[in-house]
Amino acid sequence: MEATALVPLGMGLIVVGAGMGIGRFAAAAAESIARQPEAADKITAAVNLPLFLLEGVAILAEVFTFLMLIL
Amino acid sequence: MILAAISSKSGSVMENVGSNIIHHVSNSDISHPIMKLPVILGVDFSVTKHVLMLWIVTVILSFSIVIPVRRYLSKTAETPTGWVNAIETVVQFIRDSIVRPNIGTKWTSSYTPVLLTFFFFILFTNTIGMIPIFDIIGLINRFVLDVSASDSHNAINGILHGGVTATGNFNVTGALAAITFFLIIIAGTRAHGFFNHWKNLVPSGLAWPVYIILIPIEIIGMLVKPFALTMRLAANMTGGHIALLALLSLMAIFGEMFQSALAGIGVAFISVPMAVAVSGLEIIVILVQAYVFTLLSAVFIGMAINVHH
Repeated sequence: MEATALVPLGMGLIVVGAGMGIGRFAAAAAESIARQPEAADKITAAVNLPLFLLEGVAILAEVFTFLMLIL
Repeated sequence: MILAAISSKSGSVMENVGSNIIHHVSNSDISHPIMKLPVILGVDFSVTKHVLMLWIVTVILSFSIVIPVRRYLSKTAETPTGWVNAIETVVQFIRDSIVRPNIGTKWTSSYTPVLLTFFFFILFTNTIGMIPIFDIIGLINRFVLDVSASDSHNAINGILHGGVTATGNFNVTGALAAITFFLIIIAGTRAHGFFNHWKNLVPSGLAWPVYIILIPIEIIGMLVKPFALTMRLAANMTGGHIALLALLSLMAIFGEMFQSALAGIGVAFISVPMAVAVSGLEIIVILVQAYVFTLLSAVFIGMAINVHH
């Protein structure tokens, strides 16, 4: 099999991984806000940064697979 | 953008769609620049579409942010009204919820201006990608002035061809991230002194074999931070436009596949609303990415200043 045939598969795996990560974040944040509504601001602030870092990892991987595809 | 979907000219549509999309999200060709400028020190200063966009953004920023703020500051203290009031809300938000929690009270006023510059610049540059001025100029050029798409010496074709927004170009975001990279070093040096800043990269008081692993990791981490900033912004801005163009291209693809215009029109009823929805998502992404770049720059600067082991 040609190596580039696996690249779309890799892209799909990235999306699955990042989606699971972001989903867990959102679930945990929603749950903790439901338990303690007055701490919503602090929870949002704490969730934001790791969320963007996670998104960055996903996008980096996606850029690399995309570069492999076109180069 | 619509032009990309319908201008798949000769040959099979399926063969043209991919290259057409890539063509429209990348910068315009350097061999046919909008304005030819000389090569100085090996750098080609010719004006391509993204450079033109940056100039437009600079003009808009000057008139909408810099000049009102300067005019307000030159007066004696009075309550801001109208536009300056709106700017103040953003400024206060950046200072109180991004800079102060991450960098600390002592250095807040030192690093708020540069982070505000990042925020406004990225916000305006992102936004200009969602305003289809160039596409409308291209449509007028193609159908009113009757210039063919293959005429690469036409000035308006030079503007039209290629380019979503300047922040979708890795060179632009790379330059922004390079500023952050040097800011981190400057911030650490100003807070702790030159040698202490480099010493602070690794925690002190560990057994010596740990340092063999830790020092390379920290050096790689130092370079990965701005690299990730570059990729995040550019890939986000390009990705949304690729999704938009792919959805609109479905019309041409289906029309070709079923050999009838009716199939293309039928798909339009699905793909155009979806493209509108993606455009709505893009507007959120524009705001979020400007916020994220500012937030992460603040966090990285704060990590250099508030070292904790």
